[in-house]
This record gives sequence, structure tokens and C-alpha cells, in this order.
Amino acid sequence: MNRTRSGELPHWPLHLFLLLMVVITLYPLFWVLTIAFSGGQSLSISDLPPDAALGDRLRAITPWPKHFSVSNFRSLFADQPFARWMLNSVIISAATTFMGVFLASTAAYAFSRFRFPGRRAGLMSFLVSQMFPGVLMMIPLYIIIVQWLGLGSSYVGLVLVYTVTAIPFCVWMMKGYFDTIPRELEESALIDGASQATIFFRIVLPLAKPAVAVTALFSFMTAWNEFIQAATFMNKEEMYTMPVGLRFFVGGFSQQWGYFAAGSIVAAIPIMILFLFLQKYLVSGLTAGAVKG
Amino acid sequence: MRAPLRPPSHRRRFVIGLACALLLGVGVSLALLTAARTAERHQLASREAVVTLRALTGLIERAEAPPPAEEGGFADELAGLDTPAEEPAEEPAPDEPGEAVRRAAARFAAAHPELRSVRVVTFEGIRLEASTDPADTGARAAPRRLEREEKDVYDQGQRLRAAIDENREAVAGGGSPINPEIAVQELADGGLSIAGPVESGGATVGMVQIRTAPNPAVRPPAPAWLPALLAWLAPVALLALLGLAIGERRTVLAAAALVLLAAGLFGFSRWVLGVLEAERRETARQLAAHVNEQREIAGQLLTEIDSTGAAPLDPLRWDVDLYRVPRELVTAEGTLDEGRLGEQIRLDAGRLTRSVAVLAVLALVLLTFIGFGGAAATGRSLVRYRAAYAYTLPAILAMTLLSFFPFFYGIALSFTNANIYNSNKPITDLWVGLDNFISILSDFSIARSTADGLVINYNNFYWTLGFNVVWTIANVVIGVTLGLILALILNTRGLALRPIYRVLLILPWAVPNYITSLIFKGMFHQQFGVINQIRQIVGLEPVAWFDGPLTSFAAVLTTNGWLSFSFMMVVSLGALQSIPSDLYEAAKVDGATRWQQFLAITLPSLRPALIPAIILSVIWTFNQFNVIFLVSAGEPAGATEILITKAYRLAFEQYRYGYAAAYSMVIFLILMAYGIFQNRATQATEAIGE
Repeated sequence: MNRTRSGELPHWPLHLFLLLMVVITLYPLFWVLTIAFSGGQSLSISDLPPDAALGDRLRAITPWPKHFSVSNFRSLFADQPFARWMLNSVIISAATTFMGVFLASTAAYAFSRFRFPGRRAGLMSFLVSQMFPGVLMMIPLYIIIVQWLGLGSSYVGLVLVYTVTAIPFCVWMMKGYFDTIPRELEESALIDGASQATIFFRIVLPLAKPAVAVTALFSFMTAWNEFIQAATFMNKEEMYTMPVGLRFFVGGFSQQWGYFAAGSIVAAIPIMILFLFLQKYLVSGLTAGAVKG
Repeated sequence: MRAPLRPPSHRRRFVIGLACALLLGVGVSLALLTAARTAERHQLASREAVVTLRALTGLIERAEAPPPAEEGGFADELAGLDTPAEEPAEEPAPDEPGEAVRRAAARFAAAHPELRSVRVVTFEGIRLEASTDPADTGARAAPRRLEREEKDVYDQGQRLRAAIDENREAVAGGGSPINPEIAVQELADGGLSIAGPVESGGATVGMVQIRTAPNPAVRPPAPAWLPALLAWLAPVALLALLGLAIGERRTVLAAAALVLLAAGLFGFSRWVLGVLEAERRETARQLAAHVNEQREIAGQLLTEIDSTGAAPLDPLRWDVDLYRVPRELVTAEGTLDEGRLGEQIRLDAGRLTRSVAVLAVLALVLLTFIGFGGAAATGRSLVRYRAAYAYTLPAILAMTLLSFFPFFYGIALSFTNANIYNSNKPITDLWVGLDNFISILSDFSIARSTADGLVINYNNFYWTLGFNVVWTIANVVIGVTLGLILALILNTRGLALRPIYRVLLILPWAVPNYITSLIFKGMFHQQFGVINQIRQIVGLEPVAWFDGPLTSFAAVLTTNGWLSFSFMMVVSLGALQSIPSDLYEAAKVDGATRWQQFLAITLPSLRPALIPAIILSVIWTFNQFNVIFLVSAGEPAGATEILITKAYRLAFEQYRYGYAAAYSMVIFLILMAYGIFQNRATQATEAIGE
């Protein structure tokens, strides 16, 4: 143990530095909470008169609402189309998750269990596709999906785009997990007369539950947090996803910071909770992917 | 499922291979021929309609501008159109042009049973000057003001006018016309709606729009089955016969199949060329006949309208392309210009030869593939591994259609001048070669000196690239330093509240980055932003963050620093915790100082985790779209734009798809180069480390 090593230094400067960092970290978050519960649309916490005293000025930067009110949340759902945007996000994310998990798990199963001509090329091509720059892909995708297929402002178009974005990572992740499941289980099932499909759906997928969960959450987060493609593909206001809608509140000449803050909290809380549970897997998955690449 | 024991028959394979290769070559040629003939007929219909429109326009222009007003042009036009509305009773004379236009339109429509309607719109006063449309009778009869729901008609006219001005400028600048000056639209029933400008004294003063009934010339050509069948089956039969003599000698069989394939395709393409030429000649003949007919009708009408002294009609300018450039196919005497026609036919032949060459290569690949047993092997492994292929098929299909195909399509786009208006045209029509890349990469005018000092051109590629690199380095340095320091502190044994600090400091990574960006955009607001309020408490002046490049850079850097240090901290912390503590104890026993321990134990142990994390964060930051796009939006004047936000703006705000695709390709190549360099460098350091 390093007790003696750490014992050489006093801890209070470390705490001081950590506290400073925690304040810097939390300040923007409290700021959003304050604006959200302020009940107004203003960007500032309190209005400053031109000859404000130091007390007023300090009050203006203290992230705590003057009057506590949930009216922003209420009218976000009652007066603004936020519920619709949320529904869009939920539908698109759920469909992306389903498509992503289905396509990735079947492909990953084949890559893990079968040795067939084209296996290596297939796996490599998935990896290489991760290097295609997003914007380069967006121009042809926009032409294909919006101008050729006429799928602009539709769920199908955006779900397809998101699914393809998520597939490569999911395939590699699931393949890694399938590799750890012993083949004997499947072989004995095969002897018992189970079909390939039965083995996959009844035996392998249930065993791979943790990987399926991570893949599902990854696909879900990809779709839930994506901004620029949604902004480009969804032209109609009623088809916005939440990120596009939140930008809509404070982009251009619109200055509805109260709605933005309240909506941000609604959009971010579930994903932040998921993230905090998941970040362990994400770190290992990402760095493992980088080493392979 | 096993390979057949009987040795494969080369003869059979080559016969099948030739049959498939010829089917591909002849089949696609036939389809191309049919498509070309159909297109030719459609084009004839639209060219005839354009000739009609131009003949009508010629009449209208002469009816509108009576001889004395000819030099006055636009000004007289104004007077002529305005006055009748204000004082119709006192001055009936100026009403004459409008009346003449209506008469010309009505007569013209009467002489053309194929015209469903003729409408003449005058921009001045937004008037429907004349109309033979059945809907425009009674209360809606011309002349009248265009109604609100007819705004698209007026807009179309304005588009044409804008196109003419723009094209005139482009041509004067040595370029070629950009936007069509004649609008052709196919109607649901197969007829055409065609609109063209009416000019007077060099200005565009109105628009003529005609709707035609479906042209009987537009009927699908009967596909020529017999020659195609002959070109397909004759060589195959011949090879089968030859095979009897050749036997199973593979090389000879391959040579014979190759010769027959070439002969079959060559023969068929000659025949196709002949058919195409005949079609061309026939349509040219019909067009010339149409021009002559129009000339006659319009000439007669011109005398009827009684515009004595009006300039004679100019039928040479009737058969024009969409930019109103004469095609010069029909001479002044009304005969076909054989030179012109020959030139077009030669162009056709060249295009056809290129297509057939590509087809021949594909057919040859197919022949070789089948003949030498590749197809048989593929078929066997498809059957043998059918389960594996069935499982991968959905994902591969999705990736091919929406990832690999778009990628290559994007590369192809980067060699074109595609934009929002022409992206439905075939890519070969928009091909500009390396022009986009040259104009991006060869523009070195980053800064120029003026009276006010050095002015930087923020739109220059190299400025954006330089900014992008500085941005990436600054962020990664900040992220790694901060993350590493925090990880080292949090790794201190016996430090109180460690788990709480850890969770709180991870939060920035958990917040979706578009939300972070919008939050910081709000906090950096000049007037109400909390950051300026904090500055004022300390006694500093508020700053207009996004008005200067440096302050704007500071704002985006702060935002990205806030959201990126957590990742580095988590990665470093994980690596630190996996260092066995006895290493440090052994070092202590050897009398190493803390700094020596850090250099000899901590840093080397961190490297395997930190290097991939740094590679990742370099790429993430280099492409950190949301922060730049949402916080600074490139302000001021594009100074803080990074390459991908710039490419996005080119594509989706300026709609220059081709140019933006080239821009993205350059970004891709830069990232590729970085990846290769990074790979080398990592391998090198690993080698040293070992």
C-alpha cells in the first residue's frame, strides 16, 4: 500500500483543486436548472439595474431561482410541440435500437460462429466504414434519402441513417461477446435436433443478454442524442426530434431559454442516468475498437 | 454439398459463360437503345413545343412593340401598360398593344389545334395579358391582374427573368449559362407546359406559357427483338459447335469464346448505331418540317395582325436549347444542316462506343468468371455456407446501400458541380474533373494587406485547416493535462470523498454535447450571459465574445474543454488503478524519488490506455461539429469554422453539393493521412518501449 507515499503530502490543496473543478463542472448544470425552474424565458438569473450593487450582482450569478416555478415544464408540454418532438425521438430511437440490435446480432453471430469466404472482408469493411467522415456521408445520403427516395421528414429515413451509423460498432461488440460463449451448448442443441434459427433465438441470444443490452443502449443513445442529421433530414416542425426542437427554442432570433432549459433537463436526465451506468463498457469498447483500428 | 467427383466440363462452362456475357452486353445495349430512342422522341416533342413557343413569342413581341415604340423599349412598355388602367376612356390608343397581343394569341391558338392554352403574362402590373385557357373566361377573362393563387405563374416568370440576367452576367464573364431560360414541364397527361420570356428592348417584360396536348410522336419505340436474339444466340450456337471440334482444351475454348463475344458485341453495337442514326435523322427531318410550318403560320399571322414595319420573324432563333442558344440544325432556307446533324451523330457514336466498351469489359469479366469456374465455386460456397450468408445478409445489405454506396457516390459527386438544382441529372453530365479540388487547394489568398492592415480571408481553406489544427491541439492538450492531473489526484490513496468527486467530475461527459454547447452559448451571451456578469464583478469589461476571432476561440475552447476532460480522466484513472502498488514499493526501496517513480512507473503504465484515448480524442475534436456549429457558428465571419462545419455550410446552406463533397473528400484524406502517420508513430514508440 502507498499509505506512506500519500502521507508525504497534505490533502487540503488537493481538495481545494478538486472543489474548484467540481464548482466549474456543476455551475453550468445548476445554471440550466435555475433557468428551467425560474418560470421565465430570460437568459439571466435576475435582472440587473444599470447601477447594480455588489449584492445584486452576486445574486445574478448565483445559480438558484429567485422564484421557484414549474411553469416552464408545464407549458413546454401544454403550449409547445415538445411532447410531439419527444414522441418522435422515442419512436426513432426505439426503431433504431430494434433495427440495430437485430441486424448487428445476426451478422455478429455469423461472423463469430461460421468460417466462410468473405468473413474477414466483411468484418474489415464494417471497421473501415467507421472512418467515413460524417459530412461526406451526409451529402450523398441526403440526395439518396430525400431527393431520390423522398424520405425527408420521415421516421424511416432517419432510422435507416442512424441504424447504419450504429451497426459497425454493435457488430464488433456483439461478435466479441459471442466469441466467449462456448460452442458446446449449440452443438448439443444441434444434436437434439434444434434448427439454426432456434439455436440462435432460443440459446445464443438469451446467453448474450449483457451484450444485447449494451448494443441496444448504444444504438438508443446514438439516435437520442444526434443533432445535425436530424436537423438536416427533418424539415417539418412536427417531425423534429428533441435535439432539433431544443435548438429551435434558442437558435436564430428565438430566445426561449426557459423552454430550452426545461426541455434539456427532460431530454438529458434519462440519458445521463443510462450513461453513468454504462460508461465502464463504453470506455473499454471504445479503446478496444481504437486499438484494433 | 460436396464438389462433384466428375471433372467439370470446360466446354459447358464457356458456352454458359458466353451466353451470360452476351446476354449482359446485348441486353443492356438493347435497353440503352430503347431508352435513347424514347428520350429522342421526348426531346423531339419538347423541341417542337419550344419552336412553337418561340414562334408565338416572336409574334407577341412584335405585337407588343408597335414600330414607333421599338427603340423606347421598356419605358414605353410601362406607359403603354399603366395608362389604360388609369384613364381608359380618354386615351384608347395605348390600349392597342394589349389588344394586339390578345389577338395574336387567339389567332395563334386557333391555328394550332395541338395547343391546349396560351397565356401571356406581363410583369408590369402583374397582369395576365392574354389567355386562351378555358378557365380564363367570364369574370376571369384576360386582361386582368394575376390572382393570389396564381403566384406560382408570376414566380416562374420572375425566375426566368433572374435566370436571363444571371446568364448574361455569366456569359459576359467568360462562363457558360447557369440557369434555364425556358421552363419545360411534363404534364400528367403526357402533354407539356412550356414557359419562356418575352423581351422588349433588351429587358424581360413578360412571359408566354403554352400547354400542349400529348405529341403523337412520343410513343415508345418497339424493341427490336430479332437482331438482339441473333446477336445473343448465334455466337453461343457457334461456340457450342466449335466446342465439338475443340473438346476440353481450356485455352482454345477461352480464346474462341473471347473472339465470339467481341464479334457479337461489335456487330450488335454497329446495328444499334445504325438504328440510332436513322432515328436522329428522322427526328431532325420532322423538326425541320415543324419549323417550316411554324414559319409559314407565324408569317401569315404577322401580316394579319397588321404590324406593318415590324421586324421580320427570326426562325433561326426558334429551335433553341433551354438557355435560348440556337441549335442551328435548321438553316435559313428551312433545310437540314447536314454538317450539324453529322456532328451530332458522331457525338452519339462516341457516347455509344464508350458505353459499349464499359459493357464489353463487364461482359468479359463475367465470361472469365463463369468460364474458368469462378461462378461454380461461388455457387458452391453460397450453397455450402448459406446459413452464414443468410445471417449476414440484412446487415451487409443495409451497409451496402446506406454506407458503402453513398461513400462512393460521394466520391463521384466530388468530381462534379452538382447542386440542388441539377442533382437529378446523370453524374456524367455534371462532371468537372478535378476542378473542385483545384479551386479548394490552389487558393492561397489567406490574407491581403489593405489600408487598414492585414485582412484575413476566413473563407480560405488553409485558414480553416490551420484553425482546425490549432483547435484540435489546444483541446487535446487541455483535455489530457486536466484529465491526467485529476486522475492522479483521485488516485491518491486515502483521499476522502473520492467516489463523490469521481461521479461529479464525470457528469460533463454524460451531458449530451449539443445541450452543453447550447448552454455555453447562453452563458457567453454578451448582454445577459452569466460569464460577462462574473467578469463585471471582478471589475472587467463585458466582452462581445463572438465578435473577435480570439475571444470566439476562447469561448469554443472553454466549451469543449468542459465537456472533454472527463473522458481523459476516466481513462487515465482506469489505467492508474491497474498499476500494481508493489512496483512503487520496490522503487521506494531502491530510493527513487516521487518524480522518478512518476517517470519510470506511472507514465509508461499509462501509455497503452492513453494513446488510443488520445488518438480517439484527436479525431473527435477534429470533427467536433456540434460545439463549433452551435456555440460560435463560425462567427465572426467564418473565422472559427472548422473543416466539417464549413463543408456542412457549403452543402446545406449554399447547396453546392459537388464542391462540398470535394471539401469533405479533402477532410477524409487528411484524416487518413493522420491515421497512417499515427499508426507508424505508435508502432515506433511501442518498439522503443519494448
